[in-house]
Amino acid sequence: MRRLAPSALVITSALALAGCGGSGDAKADLSVSSSYMPQPVSDMAAGFLTIANKGGAKDELTSVTSDTAGSVTVHETVGQSMEEVKSLDVPAHGQLVFKSGGNHLMFENLKRKPKQGEKVTVELHFAKSGPIKVEMPVKSATYNPATGH
Amino acid sequence: MRKKTFAAAALLAAATLTLSACGSGDDSNSPVAVVSEDTSQKAATVLDKPFEKPDLVLTDTKGKKYDFRKETAGRPTLIYFGYTHCPDICPLTMSNIAVAKKQLPKAEQDKLRVVFVTTDPQRDTPAELGKWLRGIDPQFVGLTGDFSTIQAGARTLGISIEPTHKDKKTGKTVSVHGTQVIAFSPKTDGGYVLYDEDAQVGDYTKDLPKIIKGENP
Repeated sequence: MRRLAPSALVITSALALAGCGGSGDAKADLSVSSSYMPQPVSDMAAGFLTIANKGGAKDELTSVTSDTAGSVTVHETVGQSMEEVKSLDVPAHGQLVFKSGGNHLMFENLKRKPKQGEKVTVELHFAKSGPIKVEMPVKSATYNPATGH
Repeated sequence: MRKKTFAAAALLAAATLTLSACGSGDDSNSPVAVVSEDTSQKAATVLDKPFEKPDLVLTDTKGKKYDFRKETAGRPTLIYFGYTHCPDICPLTMSNIAVAKKQLPKAEQDKLRVVFVTTDPQRDTPAELGKWLRGIDPQFVGLTGDFSTIQAGARTLGISIEPTHKDKKTGKTVSVHGTQVIAFSPKTDGGYVLYDEDAQVGDYTKDLPKIIKGENP
């Protein structure tokens, strides 16, 4: 019993190391998908996307910028109201999902009103990973990602 | 002994899984979010005991007095409580109704009353409300006024709202919207159908022709 346990551990760590390409410490590995902005009705808009993390370490979305808007803030929906948050975690081997009724990006003081079919450039900033640029397509005001229209 | 073997095998299995997880780095095109929607479920809830129309005498987007009961008597009517500084659910709900409404014959569109009552009367002045609603549907009615009147009216429909306040932590302004749309029958003036936030444009498109006639969707 005493001899078996350490040897099993050695095997585990050896395999894990080999599997990750011997990079040593775990890092976040982020990618963005399913982004869209419903066509806004005023100088304010919402934005939705999914940030996936294939890496072994968590990261945090700390800020969002866009040339289209005076400010972009990150919100969580709590019950019937939305609350601005400073950052949101992107868990290791997990994802951070922004969707209607839940987390959303809030664009304020839009410099122009984006129309369906256009794209809005958004830059996501993280605590550890480098910034990610997203070309967010503008969909109809009633767009539902579950049905795709 | 059996126990030992099992522990070792489990560790080995864990290691193998770790290995394969790290190795499969190329499937970036696989869908990350699988959203399943039960489309068989109806968005509309027909109430056994309809709501009475709330006694709301407020101000419309032109700054004129608007008596909700009087103005909507005998007309198919939808009511929603929200605010314009709301980027997500409020414009989505109103846009869903606007798109569904446009698919009705013109005469029925003119019969329908869609009333948006602000939950944030301080920021939503008649002018602000008007600007916002014109971007969605110029026929929609926007009402603002005394918060306690709005809150009391919402309460009679089972809708709970709170006044706009500053968040203690961030100092940001927080407003609250209602979570349901209520449809009133032109026949009885009773609020007999309820839609929650999951109601899609397709649900309203399917149901509005029935609501116009006061029938159950």
